[in-house]
Amino acid sequence: MSDPGEALASAKAAADRIVRAKRLNASLTPSKELRQSLTRQAQAAHPSGVLYGMPVAVKDNICTLEFTTTCGSKILEGYRSPYEATAVAKLKAAGALIAGKTNCDEFGMGSSTEHSAYGRALHPFDKTRVPGGSSGGSAALVAAGAVPAGLGSETGGSVRQPASFCGIVGIKPTYGRVSRSGLVAFGSSLDQIGVFGRSVHDAARVLSVISGRDPRDSTCEARDSLRLPTVPESLQGFVIGVPKEYFPPDLAPAVRRACDRAIRLLKELGAAVREVSLPHTQYAVPAYYIIAPAEASSNLARYDGARYGPRFDGAVDVGALYRTTRGEGFGPEVRRRVLVGTYVLSSGYYDAYYRRAQQMRALIAQDFRNVFDRGVDLLFTPTTPTPAFKAGEKLDDPVAMYLSDIFVVTANLAGLPAMSLPIGRVKGLPIGGQLIGQAFLEDEMIEAAYALERVVPAAEDT
Amino acid sequence: MSVTREEVRKIARLAELDVDEETLPVLTEQMSRILEFVAQIGAVPATETAKPFVPGPDAVRFRPDEVRPWPLAFGPSELAPAFRSGFFLVPKLGQFEQEG
Repeated sequence: MSDPGEALASAKAAADRIVRAKRLNASLTPSKELRQSLTRQAQAAHPSGVLYGMPVAVKDNICTLEFTTTCGSKILEGYRSPYEATAVAKLKAAGALIAGKTNCDEFGMGSSTEHSAYGRALHPFDKTRVPGGSSGGSAALVAAGAVPAGLGSETGGSVRQPASFCGIVGIKPTYGRVSRSGLVAFGSSLDQIGVFGRSVHDAARVLSVISGRDPRDSTCEARDSLRLPTVPESLQGFVIGVPKEYFPPDLAPAVRRACDRAIRLLKELGAAVREVSLPHTQYAVPAYYIIAPAEASSNLARYDGARYGPRFDGAVDVGALYRTTRGEGFGPEVRRRVLVGTYVLSSGYYDAYYRRAQQMRALIAQDFRNVFDRGVDLLFTPTTPTPAFKAGEKLDDPVAMYLSDIFVVTANLAGLPAMSLPIGRVKGLPIGGQLIGQAFLEDEMIEAAYALERVVPAAEDT
Repeated sequence: MSVTREEVRKIARLAELDVDEETLPVLTEQMSRILEFVAQIGAVPATETAKPFVPGPDAVRFRPDEVRPWPLAFGPSELAPAFRSGFFLVPKLGQFEQEG
């Protein structure tokens, strides 16, 4: 696309589709504002950009100048950022259109997009189920065909898990591949912006655009943008490891069948597949739910009603202002995590929890290094233990909700690239398969995904 | 590792977070369950160690010590709930004065 008329038509069509998908509660941007902004953006977009005219929906914890950034929280209701995220600026420079902000679990804390102050988002194929989370709004919009691609963010699987639930592609790059400038901080040593696409190619080309160095984020590696691989004829020469810990006895039978079929197809494509072991996997979720809340309790200290966001008035002194604003402004899951984070960092508990969790993180990262050092190029696993679960099913049991992240948090803890792609269905509900790559070798991971995507009957029940 | 209601109140004070008495029993129960769940990392012997893991670049990149303008679309006066003459306005510092 290089014609301004086509870009304008693309903008109008995207706005229509997003408005039609309103029942999903996936977009947080009012229809009129969305239409006006998309029209303005299409008129101003760069026709020479590689994403010219492509509408991209953006999770509401990524700062934009065009729309508010609420992080799905009452404490940032109506907040307009005075600057935009580097990833958003790069998208616009490439001619993409920012197609509004999407619903998410508050500050990215959740696995179902039920923990949003703006109501839960619905699964695009079954409204009684969740789209996954925390980037469930972006995933639902892409899966519903409203936009070809979206941005999400991951602290512990928040792109791959909803991609798996919604039957689309979700990529989390290596920590440091994409700038975090303008991504509202949750767990700074874990956070990365990720992408959704209806195909591997759509997701990969958006990732390519937003990747690369950024002087505004010192944790972003000084590397060039990701170069997209070509679609391979075969996977000859690839060694793919299948970690046994990701196939526990209680794995949903349909998920196991879909994975077995995908593994067979990888072999037929020429890859050598071997069983491997990542022995500390069972400790990944506990370690994650110490480290992430600890970092969150520090990052979220800034929301106090003094410098930005709404203030819940009536306080007699400044301490009361902070406590009231935070008590009223944060939802129950954020409150829980801030309290857990404060607890594990407090005197007397730091060594037993936080220090041990950091040691565990090192052991988990070492597990991956050991496997990759023995000649394995990539790992293949299920993305989630089950397909999308029912809304409300895990709301009263935080630990049950946390365990839905069991196969995805490891890549965040080890800072590795990973992605989910659809590999089958059960009773119409999508099942995702996960590829985990070596640091900064997203191109190899995407190459394998291209090959698998071409042969796997993703829309068929297993 | 279970926590008591009093411990939750204390942690809430440290976190500058109001917790109402109505939700305290459920919150205490959920926090206890979460802390019991994460405590399983203690099952791994402390002797089992690996090279400390730090995500991101191997070394901190130093930048020239210079002010780089970063133009904002608008200033803090439009962001803050209360702002005057270059200052954020908050209620009196009563609590701190008493403690000091």
